[in-house]
Amino acid sequence: MALAQPFPRFLRHPARHVQARFRHWLQARLTPRDVLLLTQRNVYILPTRPGLMLAATLLVLLVASINYQLNLGYLLTFLLAGSALVGMHLCHGTLRGLSLQMMPVEPTFQGASSMVSVDLVSERKRVRHGIGMRMLEGEHWVWTDVPSQGRSSVHVAFNPQQRGLIPIPALTAETRFPLGTFRVWTVWRPASRVLVYPAPELHPPPLPEGQPLAGGAVQAQARRASGEFDGVRAYQRGDPLKLVVWKKLAKADEMVSRDTQQMQRHQLWLDLTDTGLPLSLPGRGAPLERALSRLCAWVLQADRQGLDFGLRLGAQEIRPASGEAHKRRCLEALARYGNAGG
Amino acid sequence: MPLLERLRHLPRDTRDTLFLLLVIAWVLAPQFGRLPLWCTALTIAVLGWRGVLAWRARPLPSRWWLLGLLVLTIGATLLTHRTLLGRDAGVTLLVVLLTLKTLELRARRDAFVVFFLSFFTMLTNFFFSQSLLTAAAMLVALMGLLTALVNTHMPVGKPPLREAAGIALTMAALGAPIMLVLFMLFPRLAPLWGVPSDAMAGRSGLSSTMEVGAIAELALDDSIAMRIRFEGLPPPQSELYFRGPVLSTLQGRQWQPLRSAFPPRMQDAAGLQVAGEPIRYQVTLEPNNRPWIFVLDAAQDAPDARSMSMRMSAQLQWTTDRPVSDLLRYSAQSYTEFRHGPMRRTAALQDYLELPPGLNPRTMTWASELRRDPALGADPARLMDAVLQRLRTGDYSYTLEPGVYGPDTADEFWFDRRTGFCEHIASAFAIMMRSLDIPARIVTGYQGGEANAVDGFWTLRQSDAHAWVEVWFAGRGWIRVDPTAAVAPGRIGSMQRLRLPQGVVASAMQTVNPQIWANLRATWEALNNGWNQWILNYNQSKQLDLLKDIGFDAPSWEDLGYVLLALVVLFSLLGALWTLWDRHRHDPWLHLLERAARNLRAAGWTVAPGSPPRTMAQLVHTHWGGQDSRAQALTRWLLALETLRYARAGATGSVRLSDLRREFSQLPWPK
Repeated sequence: MALAQPFPRFLRHPARHVQARFRHWLQARLTPRDVLLLTQRNVYILPTRPGLMLAATLLVLLVASINYQLNLGYLLTFLLAGSALVGMHLCHGTLRGLSLQMMPVEPTFQGASSMVSVDLVSERKRVRHGIGMRMLEGEHWVWTDVPSQGRSSVHVAFNPQQRGLIPIPALTAETRFPLGTFRVWTVWRPASRVLVYPAPELHPPPLPEGQPLAGGAVQAQARRASGEFDGVRAYQRGDPLKLVVWKKLAKADEMVSRDTQQMQRHQLWLDLTDTGLPLSLPGRGAPLERALSRLCAWVLQADRQGLDFGLRLGAQEIRPASGEAHKRRCLEALARYGNAGG
Repeated sequence: MPLLERLRHLPRDTRDTLFLLLVIAWVLAPQFGRLPLWCTALTIAVLGWRGVLAWRARPLPSRWWLLGLLVLTIGATLLTHRTLLGRDAGVTLLVVLLTLKTLELRARRDAFVVFFLSFFTMLTNFFFSQSLLTAAAMLVALMGLLTALVNTHMPVGKPPLREAAGIALTMAALGAPIMLVLFMLFPRLAPLWGVPSDAMAGRSGLSSTMEVGAIAELALDDSIAMRIRFEGLPPPQSELYFRGPVLSTLQGRQWQPLRSAFPPRMQDAAGLQVAGEPIRYQVTLEPNNRPWIFVLDAAQDAPDARSMSMRMSAQLQWTTDRPVSDLLRYSAQSYTEFRHGPMRRTAALQDYLELPPGLNPRTMTWASELRRDPALGADPARLMDAVLQRLRTGDYSYTLEPGVYGPDTADEFWFDRRTGFCEHIASAFAIMMRSLDIPARIVTGYQGGEANAVDGFWTLRQSDAHAWVEVWFAGRGWIRVDPTAAVAPGRIGSMQRLRLPQGVVASAMQTVNPQIWANLRATWEALNNGWNQWILNYNQSKQLDLLKDIGFDAPSWEDLGYVLLALVVLFSLLGALWTLWDRHRHDPWLHLLERAARNLRAAGWTVAPGSPPRTMAQLVHTHWGGQDSRAQALTRWLLALETLRYARAGATGSVRLSDLRREFSQLPWPK
């Protein structure tokens, strides 16, 4: 190992290196697009190992037919060969003419498994069987059939390892239908990008203390005085829907909301400089990512509790508010902080 | 029906495995009769066991089990066949491997191995039979295998097997023309290396020796031995003697080919002299794995079979240089008027008087009585007539089930049983002749036959196998005597023949309507004959004939290669053309939209590439305003185009693309 280390990587695994370079070159060659119509130009075909085995089988059958002078053996060999040829054509035809359409991608969290939805649209009268899709670098195939003149949706999982607005990695579609003797595939670089939020910290510290807000305490006191307990109170207009206790509604036909313990006595600000983590601004890298990760967890926590909160990221400031749109705005700001991923 | 219900709701894996097992059983079934008993039993047991495992969703046995079974079966194969090479041992091994592999169907690779082994096994069936029925059975097997293969590549859900079968059928149907072209044009090469000798074992035919009882088995066999097409009218059936091996030496009760006591130069030549007009005919001989060529008595010139050289023995039998292992077609000409053999007594004739010592004492006694009979005067011809007279009047009968004879076959026939078939009769007659000091020998071959009314071919079956006698008289040479005709005139010269008891259906058919039965049989055999003539007998000479028809003057097998290559090139060119066309083929809707955009651009309007119809309609509106009648017509058309593409399925109403295309030229496009 000690000896091997000084060698450049491509000398240690020349084949793998060339393969990786080739793949990179191939991908770079592809124009990114969200709808890809598969034609002769972008569908590739090569025999599989069983295909080569079949070729060897045919050869042996032929030699046996010659040696034993079996005309019926010739017929069998040639019928099999003819069927395999037709199979090759069918295999190519399974992808040819198919159209791959990228569906809008939901934003996701870094490191979490995310789904990319692809619609496979076929205008052909015959069903297209056994089409598999996966990320080019992935491992798990998702199989589907595309009905005649219809469409079928495929959900391919991928794990973004980087936050920001990142391009969806290249996908590949493959089929071996009908005989498994040929592999027909295509490589697709979608043009869509996916917004990847920082990974929320798993066990974040509690939300920071808010800055006192005039009248907030009074408001809270007034609610306390109405005799509610146990974190449940009557529904009030403006309560977020997620605070409604739906089970109670179903049983008693009474709108009840969970009481939030920290009703806005304070104004909550989530600040990048105030996460309790060492931060070497304006540096990027691990410490910053950890801080963003914590902020992300806090944003989610605050949103779950229905709090109003604001976000400060260096010069960027998002005024306190609540709700889904606000949460998304904050998360997007976190994702794109430092212009990550373009 | 809970079983049917259960079958319908089987999990996919179970259903697929059971189907594959069924197909494998179908592939193997024709082999069962030919395999060693242990192999058949093992195959059935393992397939059954595997089926039960699949049905109950039990785990497969461990590798050790398999390994043990494999070692055991290889040992058994070695014990049975004394070798692991060669055809029969190979077939046994292949069947064993295929069967055991079904116990190891785990990954997709295993499935492929099973498929490929099955293809080989299918081919091995053809070693033993290439009949129409075998072909049909193997076609079904191929469809089954392809269906299973297609089914493995439909990973989604549980598609019905019918769907996979449909796709397999489509593939085979589209592959059939390729098969036909390759079959017709692929050069028929000679075997690349020597075929193991056991390739010739196990097929039935006349035997090279005649032990009493051997032809009984042939007589039970209704399969076809040869087919003949006569140029002109066939001779009378009673004269149709097709000569095969001649048996001249009697050892105990077995007749064998001549083992002369004399050196070759002292033996008599054939000495064939013919007269009259020859009868010309073509024979299609079924493979008999013997070098025997059957011709109508007697052929002076060698039958013409292109690739084979033939020679005639001193006993007038034609043989070829290698066994007939395939359907063989040859043309020949024969003369029904002929004489052969020495005209005067030669020393070598002594060979035809030898009798095994000590056997058939009563026949000997009878012979010496006859020779002393003053009424016959020891004249050979009159002696023979006396014997034939006894056959005719002595209450002798013809039967297919004469029972087992002792060593004194002639004695038993002449004095005790008085019954037998051609073999017993001919043998007893020849022994009697020799006892009378008349040289005699047995000729085996085929006699009679019948015309197939459907295709006009004359058909001879294994049941037409016959044995007759040739005796030698001074001044006349060898002359044919058929003692069976004396016993059972019906056996010779007419359609009446003893038949074996048939199956219930066949005999019922025959009783109810013999005519329909005969017609059915004739049609079936004509079908078979067509199969033989066109498929099995398709050989290099026919290939070259085909080339001649195409226009080659002196075709050689290299030309076959050229034609094949030319077809491949043509096919590839067509494919390339199609690819070009396919690349430029547009969606007809897009094409129409593009034409509309082009018309608008021609008027100087700016239409962005890829604009949908609605955008163009808006453009029309901006340029001409909503009140313009031209604008309304154009807008209506554009929106109809939009509806056609984007409306929900079934909601497009009566709009059709062809209508829109027709309207296109009448629209008031901007100038």
